[in-house]
Amino acid sequence: MKVVILGCGRVGARLARQLDAEGHKVAIIDERMAAFDRLGRDFKGEMVLGNGIDEGVLRRAGIESADCFAAVTNGDNRNLMASQIAKRIFGVRRVITRLYDPIRQEVYDDLGLESFCPTTLGADLVRNYFLNGVNIGRTVVPDPAAARRFS
Amino acid sequence: MSQPGESPYVIIVGGGKLGFHLAKHLIDRDFEVTVIEKDPVRAEWIEHHLGPDTVMVGDGDEMAFLATTGIERARFVVGVTGDDEDNLIACQLAKVKFNVPRTIARVNNPGNVQVFKALGIDVAVSATELLMGLIEAELGGADTVRGVAVRSSGAAFVDLALPDVSDKIGKRLADISLPEGDMVVCVVRAGKPVIPRPDLLVEPNDELIIYSQLLDVEAMRETLAGS
Repeated sequence: MKVVILGCGRVGARLARQLDAEGHKVAIIDERMAAFDRLGRDFKGEMVLGNGIDEGVLRRAGIESADCFAAVTNGDNRNLMASQIAKRIFGVRRVITRLYDPIRQEVYDDLGLESFCPTTLGADLVRNYFLNGVNIGRTVVPDPAAARRFS
Repeated sequence: MSQPGESPYVIIVGGGKLGFHLAKHLIDRDFEVTVIEKDPVRAEWIEHHLGPDTVMVGDGDEMAFLATTGIERARFVVGVTGDDEDNLIACQLAKVKFNVPRTIARVNNPGNVQVFKALGIDVAVSATELLMGLIEAELGGADTVRGVAVRSSGAAFVDLALPDVSDKIGKRLADISLPEGDMVVCVVRAGKPVIPRPDLLVEPNDELIIYSQLLDVEAMRETLAGS
């Protein structure tokens, strides 16, 4: 599977490393070179320096042949714009957007854009732990890169 | 403040230089205007210059805030911040959630003009693109000026000089096949307008004014240059 990730922060970098270690073809975009340090030396995917709301940059990352696209920069609007380009202009099949603002998530739900909101997820997790004593926030999917480090 | 319904209501997202001057001109022409500005200090400055009830402090891409601006009765929402993504989202929200009839966005990266149209913005304006066109035309080299956007369709008029080397010279206007939806509405010959009758023969140095929906200037150039 060919994946393009926009934003090499903690989430983007972790996702990129996982998918890369699992043998998928990964390209990750960030406008700061230093952000790619998070990927570690083992990363075999492609690192694309640039602004993710630019068609040219997305093309360089191979969006035209991508199966999946994730927008996980810190800017909700930037994520929304990039995701819509990926979905509506390049026709990427699976597109997901991170949105910190729950209201914005509701709005773009209506427009058929798949998203997740760390704000509501986090609040739900904590609330669930308080009420039920169960922390469902532990890693669900093991990180192969981390697993290798500790084995 | 004017009564709702009396004069067209315009919401301007972004109180920078462009937003401020646009608001000033609209107010001079009796439009009802609200400028939305994030920075309270800037907002105060705008209010000082434009008068009370002309500016609100908040995020133009925040649903709850937009709902307090009377946006549902706005005729236009204009996004003129310095960030393309913020202009896009503000205009999309206005369109999708508040049924604003016309959304106009400033585009900082000219490459985003087509993107904005594809994503439902009625008019996307790139100052870079306009200025480039003017400079190119002024220098005489090539050849394109993009002009006024058309109200009902979001198309624009493009002024395209016929390339010096073109196999279209001497051909009938009707035989030049432009992209679908595009149409020559005027030929400018030696500085004078000529009605573009289908059997008009194209001459060297003609300029074609084209009504264009797609605004795919490259495709037009190729068509005019010939094979």
